[in-house]
Amino acid sequence: MSRRNTEFLYLLMVAVMATLAYVAVYAARFKEIGRTSLTYAGIFVVVFLVLHLVVRFRLAQADPYLLPLTALLSVVGLAEIYRLDPDLALKQGRWLIVGAVLFVLTVLVVRDHLRLDGYKYIIGAVGLALLAITIVFGSEVNGARLWLHVGGVSIQPSEFAKIAIVIFLAGYLNDKKEMLSIPTARVFRIPIPAPKYFGPLLLMWVLSLLMLVFMKDFGMSLLFLATFIAILYMATARLVYVVVGGALFAAGAALAVTYVSHIHDRFAIWLDPWQDPQGKGFQLLQSLYAIADGGVVGAGFGRGYLLHPDKTPVVPDLPTDFIFAAVANELGLAGAVGLVLCYLLFCWRGFQIAVWATDGFSKLLAAGLATIFGLQTFIIIGGVTRLIPLTGITLPFVSYGGSSLTANMMLVALLLMVSHRTNVVRAGSDTERLELAELGA
Amino acid sequence: MNRAIGRIFVIAAVLFAALVVNLTYLQVFAAKSLRDKPENHRRIAEELRVRRGAILGFDGSTIAGVKKQSGFWFRTYPQGAVAPQIVGYNSVRYGRSGIELSMNDYLTGSSTARGWQGIVDDALGRRQRGANVRLTIAPAVQKAAQDALGTTRGGIVVLDPKTGAVIAAASSPDYDPATLESDWKRLRGDKATPLLSRTTQSLQPPGSSFKVVTAAKGLGEGKVTPTTVFYDTGTYSIGGGQVTNYHDAVFGRNTFTQALTLSINTTFAKVGTMLGRDKLVEGMTGFGFYEVPPLELPEGLVVASGRYRGGKLLPTTAPMDELHVAWAAVGQENVLATPLQMALVAAGVANGGQVPKPYLVQDVKDPDGRVLRRAEPGSWTTAMSPQTAQQLNLMMQQVVSAGTGTSAALQGISVAGKTGTAEKGDGSNVAWFIAFAPARDPQVAVAVMVEKTPLTGGDVAAPMAADVLRVALGQPQLP
Repeated sequence: MSRRNTEFLYLLMVAVMATLAYVAVYAARFKEIGRTSLTYAGIFVVVFLVLHLVVRFRLAQADPYLLPLTALLSVVGLAEIYRLDPDLALKQGRWLIVGAVLFVLTVLVVRDHLRLDGYKYIIGAVGLALLAITIVFGSEVNGARLWLHVGGVSIQPSEFAKIAIVIFLAGYLNDKKEMLSIPTARVFRIPIPAPKYFGPLLLMWVLSLLMLVFMKDFGMSLLFLATFIAILYMATARLVYVVVGGALFAAGAALAVTYVSHIHDRFAIWLDPWQDPQGKGFQLLQSLYAIADGGVVGAGFGRGYLLHPDKTPVVPDLPTDFIFAAVANELGLAGAVGLVLCYLLFCWRGFQIAVWATDGFSKLLAAGLATIFGLQTFIIIGGVTRLIPLTGITLPFVSYGGSSLTANMMLVALLLMVSHRTNVVRAGSDTERLELAELGA
Repeated sequence: MNRAIGRIFVIAAVLFAALVVNLTYLQVFAAKSLRDKPENHRRIAEELRVRRGAILGFDGSTIAGVKKQSGFWFRTYPQGAVAPQIVGYNSVRYGRSGIELSMNDYLTGSSTARGWQGIVDDALGRRQRGANVRLTIAPAVQKAAQDALGTTRGGIVVLDPKTGAVIAAASSPDYDPATLESDWKRLRGDKATPLLSRTTQSLQPPGSSFKVVTAAKGLGEGKVTPTTVFYDTGTYSIGGGQVTNYHDAVFGRNTFTQALTLSINTTFAKVGTMLGRDKLVEGMTGFGFYEVPPLELPEGLVVASGRYRGGKLLPTTAPMDELHVAWAAVGQENVLATPLQMALVAAGVANGGQVPKPYLVQDVKDPDGRVLRRAEPGSWTTAMSPQTAQQLNLMMQQVVSAGTGTSAALQGISVAGKTGTAEKGDGSNVAWFIAFAPARDPQVAVAVMVEKTPLTGGDVAAPMAADVLRVALGQPQLP
């Protein structure tokens, strides 16, 4: 079966699941199967059908699993948001359409991701500018300065900045990888690159510390630094960068916990949420209780106790940062682990695309995107389940939030482009290879 | 490069595996201990899947009903706030209180509360439904009490002196149980403590209303008679200190009856001295002081009256010197009482010396109408002999007809009562009035307590008692 037919088959399965999920939520709410739920499911199916067709005509040889996985994650998110707040689900539905448009635009405008390598400094600067704008003009939500309000719409520029910075790092480190990996000194008989090559690492560390200080957000700062270290390691295969980077991160974390009160609180809550169960520990504890209540199979979509009689959610920020707690409550361990495995599959495809790619930039780009995607998922799921200290970032494709959804749609588009190019170069038709050559690759 | 990418993927896989392990721990192994955490009220959510029984007024009207919303049964309050601090709340966010907590097994219809019938129902697979709890609270009287208090801080308890049925228990300020969840933070932070059940929890110095207790023991022990003559000079020196009258009044020569009518402190201090510590405390325990009144409410929602120090109830054996005894006999010193206890004092006199066992739950019926529980009225403590009660009844009628409690008088019905005005350190008063009516065949006993007032019991509490008595005595049906 061709890649596109495989993709179509999986998308059909997701479409069936989408319809069932909406019907389940609707039935739980209104004791009947209404037209609204089918309409929601219908719009959802049409959006992914359009994306499938775009991929079929422009990226015919791309990986067939990523788009169905994206659809599956999105439908779990949309159904759960719909169950919590139908108005919010409508907005999320609109954001999904915006995300689909951005996906298509990325595919049509960029055409070949290798062209991005040539613009890497501009893209890197745009990424930094996005972060700088947030720091200067942003407003604080829950103690972290991550939001920008433009004409009635709230944007989280860091979600887009993360893609820009991964593109920049992939291009930059691909250029410098030989230089960065030549050992010029030895410490305890271990080959070490010259001290000056630690410059970029230090720079990135300072940058992430600045983000931490000005955005007061540990999650994004950790995400950027860890992604940088991962890409640096993948570019150079030098473990010493990981060791030094890890030490720098530990030092930064210690500083933050000591000197930033909001981060200190988060850390203290993580250690013992029961010290202030009605105050600072309330959100995390309610999340844990809701997750624990899910048990092995959960009560089903729309059947858990997630809303109080006045419609406020049992966990503050349930549709956004804490959406995973809602899913784990209603779908139980089975659903929660299933969701985690979907993310793992997504990452696996990302890394696989990187391994198969034929050039360094493509490899680092795909691996970098997979890393930042997986890490973000781990940070937020780990946070709401008290595996690690909580930091408020979104769960890709599932949390409510336009910036997160649209940025991650672009991320999928980029991964599919890398995959398409690889498969064409390795085994594609002559015409396809010719077209790529014309693009100037 | 590929090996490094592979390693990063392995790390990602390990991190995700940690998530799965942690989820398994939370949802399987730690699930029970998390569910049992005291501040976790999610267990309540499970019980909301059962149609919860209603809480009814004595007249059968619904005080707390239910409506279904996305699979869960939530409370409705068709009559608005009716004794919200007693009825309590049932919230997944904030837990349970009041009757909602103490009668939960009945309200959820758990098989333990249904006995053998529950086992049969379970065996037949019948759907679990909650039983209805009918209270002794008469909504009309309850509303009259709530209206009488208005926004004034205080509490009113109305009892049937013969049975001990609580006809009304109003605590002000109160709250709207329908919007409790959204108002919670404000209610908790409110200095006027609207969530507090003042009728059963608020301990205040009873002031002169306590003289009924002293009088009962003095008469019962034969230390005084209603006609014993006392001479008041405005002060009574005892044990190295002095007992003075309210506003330093001087009354001169009066009988014991007149002393109660005019509320002369020095006279009752003298009676206290005659009785001594042991007999005075005995008089108090005879009315139920030092014991938690056995209402069907959760632990902590009803407190014992008696002598307190530092927020703790002193034992009956706690030492008192003569000055302490003299001041305690006029309801000052460390003596604190709840409105419920003072209503029981009035009921004890009204009921010929027998203090009835107070109760709130009239009956519990399952949805098929089977009675699962029915109140069994009885006597709680013995305060005095019927003869003494009769003497005290007549004395207390004088208080309303010719003394400090004239504003509690009703047209055509004789009322027996006693005022109280306890001065607090901050310059405000706690105003009291306890009463029962009709005096010859008492149907209703009442205690009114008003906090933070510049006025006296006769000025502010007695008129409220009159309003409530008028409605209560006009009711065709009372417990």
